[in-house]
Amino acid sequence: MLRIAAVLIGLIFATAAGAAPLERDPTLRGLCGNAAASGEAADRLLSATPTLSPDDLAFADAAIGGLLSKKLVCPAAPTDPVALKADTGAVDLATGAPLAALPKGKAPVVSLKNRAKFERLAAALALLAAPNAAARAAALEVLAKSAADVPADLFAAAAGREPDPALAARISSVADLASLYGTDIDKRVAAVARLAEGENRRVLTEIEALRADPAYASEPAFAAAVDAAAAKVSGAIAIGNAAATLYNGLSFASILFMASIGLAIIFGLMGVINLAQGEFIMIGAYVTYVVQEGLRALLPGLLDWYLVIAIPFAFLVTALIGIALEASLIRHLYRRPLMSLLATWAVSLFLINLVRVGFGTQNLQMETPFYITGGIAIVGDFIMTWNRLFAIGFAALTLAGTWFLIRRSGIGLDIRAVTQNRDMAGCIGIPTRRVDMLAFGFGSGLAGLAGLALSPIYNVNPQMGTNFIIDSFMVVVLGGVGSIAGTVIAALGIGQINVLIEPIWGAVAAKVIVLALIIAFLQWRPEGFFTVAGRRK
Amino acid sequence: MTNFTRRSIIKAAGVAGAGLVLPLSAPNIIRSARAADTVKLGCLFSSSGTMANIEGRLNFVVKMAADEINAAGGVNGKMIDVLTSDPASDWPLYAQIGKQMLQQEGVAALFGCWTSVSRKSVLPVVEQSNGLLFYPLHFEGDENSKNVVYVNSPPASSVLPAVDYLMSDEGVSAKRFFMLGSDYVWPRTINKQLKGYFASKGIAETAWKEEYVPLGFSNFQTLVNQIRAFADEEGGQPVVILTCVGSSIPDFFREFINQGIKATDVPVLGLDVVEADLEGLDTAPLVGHLNCWAYLQAAEGPANEKFLADWKGYVEKNAVPYRADVSIDPMVSAYDSVHLWAMAAAKAGSFDVPEVTKAFDGLSFDCPSGYKIAMTAENNYVSRGVFIGSVNEAQGFDILWQSEDTPKPVPFSPFG
Amino acid sequence: MIRSLLGSSGGTGFSLTLAALAVTAALLVATLAGVGPSGFLVNIIGQLAAFALLALALDLIWGYLGILSLGHGLFFAIGGYVMAMHLLMHSFETTGTVPDFMQFMGWKEFPAYWAGLGVFPYALAVALVLAGVVALVTGWVSFRSRVGGVYFAIITQALVYAAMLLMFRNDTGFGGNNGMTGFSVIFGLRMGTETASAVLALASVVVLALGLVATRALVSGRLGRLMLATRDDEVRLRSLGYDTIVLKTGVWVVSALLAAIAGMLYVPQVGIVNPRILSPELSLEIAVWVAIGGRGHLVGAVIGAVLVNALKFWLSFAAPDVWPFILSALIVLVVLVFPNGLLDLSRGFGALKARMRREGVASLDPRRAGP
Repeated sequence: MLRIAAVLIGLIFATAAGAAPLERDPTLRGLCGNAAASGEAADRLLSATPTLSPDDLAFADAAIGGLLSKKLVCPAAPTDPVALKADTGAVDLATGAPLAALPKGKAPVVSLKNRAKFERLAAALALLAAPNAAARAAALEVLAKSAADVPADLFAAAAGREPDPALAARISSVADLASLYGTDIDKRVAAVARLAEGENRRVLTEIEALRADPAYASEPAFAAAVDAAAAKVSGAIAIGNAAATLYNGLSFASILFMASIGLAIIFGLMGVINLAQGEFIMIGAYVTYVVQEGLRALLPGLLDWYLVIAIPFAFLVTALIGIALEASLIRHLYRRPLMSLLATWAVSLFLINLVRVGFGTQNLQMETPFYITGGIAIVGDFIMTWNRLFAIGFAALTLAGTWFLIRRSGIGLDIRAVTQNRDMAGCIGIPTRRVDMLAFGFGSGLAGLAGLALSPIYNVNPQMGTNFIIDSFMVVVLGGVGSIAGTVIAALGIGQINVLIEPIWGAVAAKVIVLALIIAFLQWRPEGFFTVAGRRK
Repeated sequence: MTNFTRRSIIKAAGVAGAGLVLPLSAPNIIRSARAADTVKLGCLFSSSGTMANIEGRLNFVVKMAADEINAAGGVNGKMIDVLTSDPASDWPLYAQIGKQMLQQEGVAALFGCWTSVSRKSVLPVVEQSNGLLFYPLHFEGDENSKNVVYVNSPPASSVLPAVDYLMSDEGVSAKRFFMLGSDYVWPRTINKQLKGYFASKGIAETAWKEEYVPLGFSNFQTLVNQIRAFADEEGGQPVVILTCVGSSIPDFFREFINQGIKATDVPVLGLDVVEADLEGLDTAPLVGHLNCWAYLQAAEGPANEKFLADWKGYVEKNAVPYRADVSIDPMVSAYDSVHLWAMAAAKAGSFDVPEVTKAFDGLSFDCPSGYKIAMTAENNYVSRGVFIGSVNEAQGFDILWQSEDTPKPVPFSPFG
Repeated sequence: MIRSLLGSSGGTGFSLTLAALAVTAALLVATLAGVGPSGFLVNIIGQLAAFALLALALDLIWGYLGILSLGHGLFFAIGGYVMAMHLLMHSFETTGTVPDFMQFMGWKEFPAYWAGLGVFPYALAVALVLAGVVALVTGWVSFRSRVGGVYFAIITQALVYAAMLLMFRNDTGFGGNNGMTGFSVIFGLRMGTETASAVLALASVVVLALGLVATRALVSGRLGRLMLATRDDEVRLRSLGYDTIVLKTGVWVVSALLAAIAGMLYVPQVGIVNPRILSPELSLEIAVWVAIGGRGHLVGAVIGAVLVNALKFWLSFAAPDVWPFILSALIVLVVLVFPNGLLDLSRGFGALKARMRREGVASLDPRRAGP
């Protein structure tokens, strides 16, 4: 109790006098206390930050950082020092002196409420003392989210010592936010304008609440500022929502496209329904996993790039399995498409269980490399997530590659010829058997690539392929068998309609409605959007 | 062109006839090779299909517990023989295999089911053949069959304390609730009870929102957008109460991370989230999200240390295809189940279900959770401790709060 | 050709199967008298009979019309769900138990469309009318726009998949994922007792026998010849002035009705109906039963369904890891080597080997096997 009083007195003194040293030990004991004591200590530390000496700032940073990363050890015995685990041994946090042994104790578990405080505190410390400008800018963003809970003099102090003039200006503008609920009407108007810079729904909620403010009725300038801000933010949100819908639709479409392009080629060329296509997707994902584990064991430095390195492996392995399947089974069934349907279902059953026996049923642990983590806020509430962008980009590249191969290469010419008229192609000397085999391999390889692209988005387990098969058939049939353009358009259409319906009636209803629409469409136009001129199947 | 002779048809019918008779009589032939001085226990956990990822490991826990009991001399002079099977996450198949185990194999007790759906489908079978089913999952309550032992907690003694914690000042003073669940009986019932509970606390109906996704759903993009929109409305601290199950859990969290929402902005209380669900995830951006169970791997005490070491040893020795260093509540509950059954059978001196059921009264067992779990004559529920966990960086949970004692289980919720 | 095919579906095989069914029925009567097989076995026999009826329904259109439906689970489910509603209503009327799903959905009383379902003849009529109307609409629309072959298979699969997704939603109102369970009374008998199991199994076996006789009568007349002609060359038949659309739609509806009846028999015996009955896998499996037993021979479908399901019952318990491999091997074997299923097997390996040597596996007379 005495100690706390001492800290309080010390703090009052510190704020008044400017630069009194921090009472380190009581602060640490407070942080080590129960949730309430720990929260109070954090509050006091936060209000003291503007006046701390560089030395104390470093100490506070180490303490809070240690707490959040669980390197801080609170001793079981009150006489032992609060320690920080270091790479070698431990240090007494209050004095910075190395310790012979880590005291008995444990890292405190941070409650949710305190975690928010500690994160704010860590940001405040970073804003004041972080050596690089990017870290300070990031810290400012964290603080701007809850500017009202940050002591006003913190921003003043930070702006004062900020060497980068642009960042200093941004700090001052965030500081303006604090005067939103002040009395000076000019400052309030400026604060409203500043607030409107963060174009999201949370800001809109806050701005709309200002309409209940007495100043809204009495001060026309304030009212105008609030109205303008509300209009600006809601406009941005509307654009953001539209962009988000488009983006979600596009990302779903890219998944559909990846899953169905291989099928489109196989079905278009041979009229074979390959129900094992989903399992090729699954195998592609497993190959990606094996490559990841291989890199982890052999070249850990390249681990983050496993998604890129795995591309040839995923393609080749699934293509080879596809070729083997064609040569051993499908080849015998070209004249019996319904039987090929049953046979490929058997293959899918076989592959699922083979993988299940080999790898087990649990979800595989796929690393999430930095380039597909998180996202970037574009406008309004629209966040462009990197993993979806990766899938979209991957689908675009696959499309380009497929298009090139089919339209511009020799084998592509053969494939098109056989698709259009098998007998005639055979007559002019195209080895139709070999073309079939290669095309089946190519289609399977594309499914393998789909597995690779989907592995960071979906759970990778033996069952994963079964989720795609009906959707991808719908895309192929709707697009028109064997047409790349049709597959693209069908995927885009299905993806977008799904995303439009989903928020209204839910995900399942969206899927059912889309399926019903496709079935109805096929009654009207059984060939789909595009028909490839040639033999009818 | 087809020349089917009479002979060929007779042969075909003969083949089919043999096919019919052979399989039906065969199970007894194959399995009767086992020694007579054993008592059989049956497992109903899927090792394929959507639930396999988490459910499959329980088969091995039951075997491990049985091995432990056998090593100490068995029960009533008999060794335990554990039968496993694969209901393939197919609910009617649970009933079918349950029936086979009870009626054909004569198992003394069944241990099984994860989802409430599977339990509901087995329930009539167990009741009709007067068997005994140990159910190791926390569930929606509102059920009390004399043929089922509910080893884990009903919502009143697990979910409500966690929600209370979130609403308290020590938690996050939660004011608004986004309830997102898989579309089946457990989430629906939990949310129904929660709504009743909120209403009893005077929380307005506008302060909560309810959404359901199908089992196995993975595309959470739109829903996480909706959560962000809900969180940004006014009215106080929002939280997500997540009752999704199975593979939807990691998918949800992945999208949550990617859209940049942190636990300090919108905390998620994942009622079915266990350590195993975090296996494939980088949990650094998830630190602080909550779950609540009757056991967490971080539980302190010698019983847990022993359990974790035993499991590690068992996995390594038997090449079990699950992680040796992950232990989840249903595993411990399954482990408790086998021990509770063995204690009851020993106390009754019999394997007859009515005798064993009578012996439940007054049983207690040192659960790896560190609590002494107990049963009474009042119902077939087991009183367990309560933990609230907080996700940490190491794909596990830290214990944020735990109950003083084992609260008395309340099977029927007053908030339904 | 036609004559010989018909000969194969009639004759000894047919009588033998009927005889086997009669023996099974007698065993079940014995159970009723307390001396026959156990309740467990009886229940399995009943389920197998229901599956056999379902396979019979598919064989009627696939074997004789060449139309493969991968969505027959839809009609099976219509029968199953209506039966489940009947049982729940009946149980409610006799014991007062409120169904589970109504409890967790917070419903206080049965929705209006449940009215009267407690009366069995009405429930039967509802199931048949519903299945018939759905079949009429899907069949008429598809056959009119000449959707056939692989496309029809895919569309029916999508249809059953959409229905499954719809039924998985609790808001649809049929119990969602849980489906319906907890039936306690059937025709005044307590469910799960040996008597109830035996009565249900007996009913299934008798209905199967009746179905077999009826479908045989259907395919062995002029109609049967028209069906085969449609399968083998629809264009020619149409140009001869036959309305194949009406023919196809008609048989499609009959097949759907048989599947619905199978569903009504199946559900009380497993004690639960849930949307998994609508999964595309189950519908595919029906085609597998028929293919393994021998397509285009009604007896073959029955034998295939019984054999595959008996194996499944046995192995998914005795050797769950091995079962999927055996099933997939069986399918590949049938598809590659025995295009007519077990009936090929019965012709003896010798003749088959000679054929394979002569023509290669690939060309095992695809015309007979096709489409």
